[in-house]
Amino acid sequence: MRRLPSLRWAALALLAAGCALTARESPPLASSAWTSRAIPEARGEVKVTPDGKRTAVRYKGWTTRDFGAFRTYAYDDARLEPAVQKAVMPASVVGDPTRGRALFLDRQKGPCTGCHLVPGDDVWPAGSVGPDLSTLGDRKLPDAYLYQQLFDPRVTFPVTVMPPWGAQGTFKPEELVHLVAYLQTLRGPAPPEKDTDRNPFTRSKPVGYGDNLDPTNNPAVVRAEEAQALWSARGPKGKACADCHAGGPKTAMRGVATRYPRVVAEHGRVMSLEDFLAVHAEATTGRALPSESGENLDLTLLVKMASDGLPVAVDTTSPAARAAIERGKASFYRRVGERNHACADCHTPDRGANKFLGGRFLGDVTAGLTRHFPTWRTSQNDVWDMRKRFQWCMTPLGANMQAADAVEYAELELFLTTFDVGKPITAPGIRH
Amino acid sequence: MSDIGKIRIRVPSNVKAGDVVRVRCLVIHPMEIIQRDAQGKIIDRNYNYITRVTATYLGKPVVTFDLTQSVSENPAFSFALKATAPGPVKVSFVDTHGGKYEGTADIAFA
Repeated sequence: MRRLPSLRWAALALLAAGCALTARESPPLASSAWTSRAIPEARGEVKVTPDGKRTAVRYKGWTTRDFGAFRTYAYDDARLEPAVQKAVMPASVVGDPTRGRALFLDRQKGPCTGCHLVPGDDVWPAGSVGPDLSTLGDRKLPDAYLYQQLFDPRVTFPVTVMPPWGAQGTFKPEELVHLVAYLQTLRGPAPPEKDTDRNPFTRSKPVGYGDNLDPTNNPAVVRAEEAQALWSARGPKGKACADCHAGGPKTAMRGVATRYPRVVAEHGRVMSLEDFLAVHAEATTGRALPSESGENLDLTLLVKMASDGLPVAVDTTSPAARAAIERGKASFYRRVGERNHACADCHTPDRGANKFLGGRFLGDVTAGLTRHFPTWRTSQNDVWDMRKRFQWCMTPLGANMQAADAVEYAELELFLTTFDVGKPITAPGIRH
Repeated sequence: MSDIGKIRIRVPSNVKAGDVVRVRCLVIHPMEIIQRDAQGKIIDRNYNYITRVTATYLGKPVVTFDLTQSVSENPAFSFALKATAPGPVKVSFVDTHGGKYEGTADIAFA
């Protein structure tokens, strides 16, 4: 009994320590209570016309389809994953293998060929995330089983990469019957391959795009050189970056990028370089640098290139950072969108990483995916930062995107960056 | 595009006599694309793009590129040559607005 008071004191001392911690280092926001400072097309907004038609505001050339019916990465989106649904194959429809094959290849639907290989020279490019279905018919699986696999495979496999196509309404029940009929016609032996690149299991893997710092090879380097002027250009407040940070960006910013994304106590949230510049540049120089604007990207390039070759050293140990990384990790495994996919489905080695999704080779999160951003994308003819890459991922997921500077993305980026710790920064990168 | 005409030339650094080396060069240039109207007729305007690229090595011509339309903003060209002696590689670009841009890189033997 005599030990009680001392215990009470210990508890009080712990409480006091906790209070001191919160006062010094306010915890990052766990909600989306951040007013976006992104350019209008990067805010993830949805416009509703008076007749009730909803169109998503996205970048030029991106789909404007509203995915509002499906779960997103927003922390305040409390919707659950769609419920697992058992389904009975409609007996009234007779499956047509020809229509089934057309549906299998339809790029407006799956396409199923994005993950599964089937015979045919017109199947290009086929992926290898899911099993090779070239001889599926030989297994003599019951139609009802295949139908359920297509409708909602979670009935048999609770943690599968395969989307619940029927449960989410992407394919109508009669379309699934045609698909089942087609799959049952796939009998071996598979015809010999004319082109080894058609088959994702024998296709050669991409080997890179040459020296990323060669301006004749990577146009992002040319862009960074043109951005140098921005460093000493005065903003409306009469100040330039160079006035406070002496010695030019190469010297003044050496090593800065290795610490981002980090918890910025002043703003109470995790911020990447891009997020921080949007706030900091405006506060000091008066120059607005909204996220995803050309100038924000230019300055990010300058600052990140000043750390080229230095190992990534983000804070992974402070309580605030650890909490943020945990939330980022939860987002990584969170199933979202029409396809009910998680980032992990494509980017962890035990699922889709290092395999082909259609013709695209999927990156492996454990190898570190963040240290070459901002990166020149040969397929887009443009320099993209990590956030625009995240937003681009939302389209195949079938989920509405968050604002480019959203807390959710910042904490996800921090989680991804933990895999880069100790590896050298190689910005600007060059990728497909 | 204040840097129009700025040229970068890359040659390998460890070259031995007799090696075949690949030279890469890039010029900062807007390379305007020929525009067409709704009827598909070319809008009559003097588009600014590079029409001729010539490269010389030790004063002798190595390669000439003739372009009939814009290929890309800030275009890059590459060509191979046999390094017989140390000396300069000169590349010159001529565009449709009469601009002439020249750059030089030295091939040095290791």
